[in-house]
Amino acid sequence: MRLSSAILLLAGVSIATYFARAGMILILADRPMPEPVMRALRNVGPAVLAALVVTLVANPEEANSGVELAEVAGMVAAITTAIKTRNLIPTLALGLIVFWVVRAVT
Amino acid sequence: MLSLLDRQAIRDGFPLLLPAIPFGFVLGLAMSESAMPIGVAYSSSLFLYAGAAQLALVTLVGAASAWAVAVAVMVINLRHVMYSAAMAPSFEEQPRWFRILAPMFLIDQVFALTSLHTDLEPERFRRYYLTLAAMFYSAWQVLSVLGILFGALVPTSWGLGFAPALMFAGIVVMMLTNRPAVIAAVVAAAVCFATLGLPNRSGLLVGALAGISAGFLAESRSR
Repeated sequence: MRLSSAILLLAGVSIATYFARAGMILILADRPMPEPVMRALRNVGPAVLAALVVTLVANPEEANSGVELAEVAGMVAAITTAIKTRNLIPTLALGLIVFWVVRAVT
Repeated sequence: MLSLLDRQAIRDGFPLLLPAIPFGFVLGLAMSESAMPIGVAYSSSLFLYAGAAQLALVTLVGAASAWAVAVAVMVINLRHVMYSAAMAPSFEEQPRWFRILAPMFLIDQVFALTSLHTDLEPERFRRYYLTLAAMFYSAWQVLSVLGILFGALVPTSWGLGFAPALMFAGIVVMMLTNRPAVIAAVVAAAVCFATLGLPNRSGLLVGALAGISAGFLAESRSR
């Protein structure tokens, strides 16, 4: 790829990404938002991040796409730990340990 | 001097930083093998600053037309529009410079952690946000360089690529403080799973929108 076209491509997607991140903050922050909009925005976090988790686990771009048993077991362990402890360190630790153990025995 | 709040931000951010390490290595390796000149590929860490989109950018270049690459990157990054909208109320009392600067650093991790702290007073919210932003941005620059230099040395068999999914799942759990939020998360995950076959991770957007709608309906019905 030519240097000039690579720079142009990177500049284009970087500027577009900045505006994807900044647009709503710059447009909406000064206006009082109607109640229904606030109600819809409240669940953006849980919805987008839950969908992100599914995408990360299933890796649709990878050759070995699909969900493995070890991934499901690790995820269940992590979610249970998060509910019980509300602390991310044991969540990650237990999730990974269960994932490794189940992967080793299956 | 680090304030108490800075230390809390670093403590909160640290578990999310760990899973970024293997990802940084994977990305760095992909950069060194990319059809893009290495300097430009690395600059994506400075200017695009979005892991999954960067990986798509440096691997698709050469295999697809520039337009196709740009579309793929933007579809992957569209979820940031939703982050931006969800964050807007917290920026109501923030100065202009912060509204312009902060979005540059609005990555998944920063969104996830700051959304758990929207009840902080404006000045403290800003400090918390900036500490996390500085931490993740500087770490990402170092990791990208290390990845370019040593990426081939980390064995993929460790399965560390699974760690980010676990961390985000943990954060979702902490966000589930009421029934509509639970419904939003469950519907989003289910619809995303059903639409995984769509190109460029667009199932993520379909799932997210379905979840937001379901949460909205649940909140409307409960009042």
